[in-house]
Amino acid sequence: MSSFHRSLFAKGLTTKAALMTAAALLFLPARGLAQTSTQTSNAQAKPAPSTSSASEKGERWLHVRVICTDGKGDTVRVNVPLELAEKVLPAVNHDRLHNGKVRIDSSDINDVDLHALMEAIRSAKDGEYVTVQGNDNDVRVAKEGNQLMIHVVDKSGSKKSQVEVKVPMKVVEALLSAGKDELDLVAALHALGAQGDVELVSVKDSENTVKVWLDSKNVAD
Amino acid sequence: MMLLAKAALGVSGALVAVGAYTFHEGVIRVDVDEFRAGGSHVHLWVPAAAVPMTMHFVPKHHLCDAASHAREFLPVAHALFQELKNFPDAEFVEVKDGEQHVQIRTHEGKLQIDVDDPDEKVHVMVPLSTVDDVVGQLEGSAPGV
Repeated sequence: MSSFHRSLFAKGLTTKAALMTAAALLFLPARGLAQTSTQTSNAQAKPAPSTSSASEKGERWLHVRVICTDGKGDTVRVNVPLELAEKVLPAVNHDRLHNGKVRIDSSDINDVDLHALMEAIRSAKDGEYVTVQGNDNDVRVAKEGNQLMIHVVDKSGSKKSQVEVKVPMKVVEALLSAGKDELDLVAALHALGAQGDVELVSVKDSENTVKVWLDSKNVAD
Repeated sequence: MMLLAKAALGVSGALVAVGAYTFHEGVIRVDVDEFRAGGSHVHLWVPAAAVPMTMHFVPKHHLCDAASHAREFLPVAHALFQELKNFPDAEFVEVKDGEQHVQIRTHEGKLQIDVDDPDEKVHVMVPLSTVDDVVGQLEGSAPGV
C-alpha cells in the first residue's frame, strides 16, 4: 500500500472513530437521565439516608416522634439537624422571634426573675426541689447530674398521662444568656449540640406517645 | 463524504454540549396522579438548568411583585436551602395518617416531596441548587435591593 493510500485509510479511520465517539457522547446525557429516572423510582420506593456518614461527620440531630396509639399506627417523625436549625433560626423574624431570640413578656411568667431562679438552681446541689402529690397531679422537679428533670403525672381525667422533661443545665444557662427579657434559642441549640445522646421530652398518654431526643443519627428509630 | 462526516461531527458535538449543559444540574420532576373520574395526570420533566435561565426572561415587574409578596420568607428560604445542601441524603419529615403518607427528604442533592394518598399521588423532585438559585434571583428582584 502506498503512503498516499495509507494516509487516506488512516484519515477515514480517524473520521469514523470521531463519529462513533460523538455518537456515544450524544447518548450519554440520555443515559444519565435514564439513570436519574431509575434512581428516582428507587428513591421513591426506599429512602437511603446514610446514617454512618452523619455520625462520622459529628452531626447532631434533633428528633421528634409522635405515635398515635389508637391502633391505626399514625405516626409523625421529624428529624432536624441542629446545625441547620442554628443557621436558619436567626433568619426568622416573626412576632416575638428575632435573630434567634424570643422576647418574653414579664407578665407571661408572673414577674418571676428567671435569671435569679436559674442562678439559684445552678448553684444548688443535686436534689429534689419540688414534690407535689395531689388528687389530680403528681409533680416532681429535681436536679440530677447537671440535668433539670421535670416529671408530671396527670391523674385528673379518665386517661392517665405522664410527662417527663430532661434539660441539661448548660442548655438552660445558654437559653437565659441573652438578657433579662429574652431567650436565646440559637445559643441553647448550640449548647444542646455539645451534649451527648439524650432524651429530652417523653409524653405518654392513652392516645399518643411523644418523644423528643438528640443523637447523631439522621434517621429516627 | 468527508464534508458530511465533518458536518455530522459538528452537529453531534454541539448537541452533546447543549445536552450536557442542560442536564448537568439534573431534572425537576413533578408527577401528579388523581385517582377519580376526570382526575388529572401530570408528569413533568424539566431540565433544572432551564429554570434560572428562564427567570431572566420573566418581566422585571412580575419578579418584583412576587418578591415583595414573599419578602418575609425569602431570607428564611435562602438560609434553609443553603443549609440543606449540606445534607444531600436525609429524611426530614414523615407523616403516616391512615392510608396517607407524606415524606419530605433530600436524595442525592435533590429535595424530594412524596405524598401518597388513596385519592392522589404527588411526587416532586427539585435539585436544591435550583431552588437556591430561584430564591436568590427573587431576593435580588425584591424592591429596594
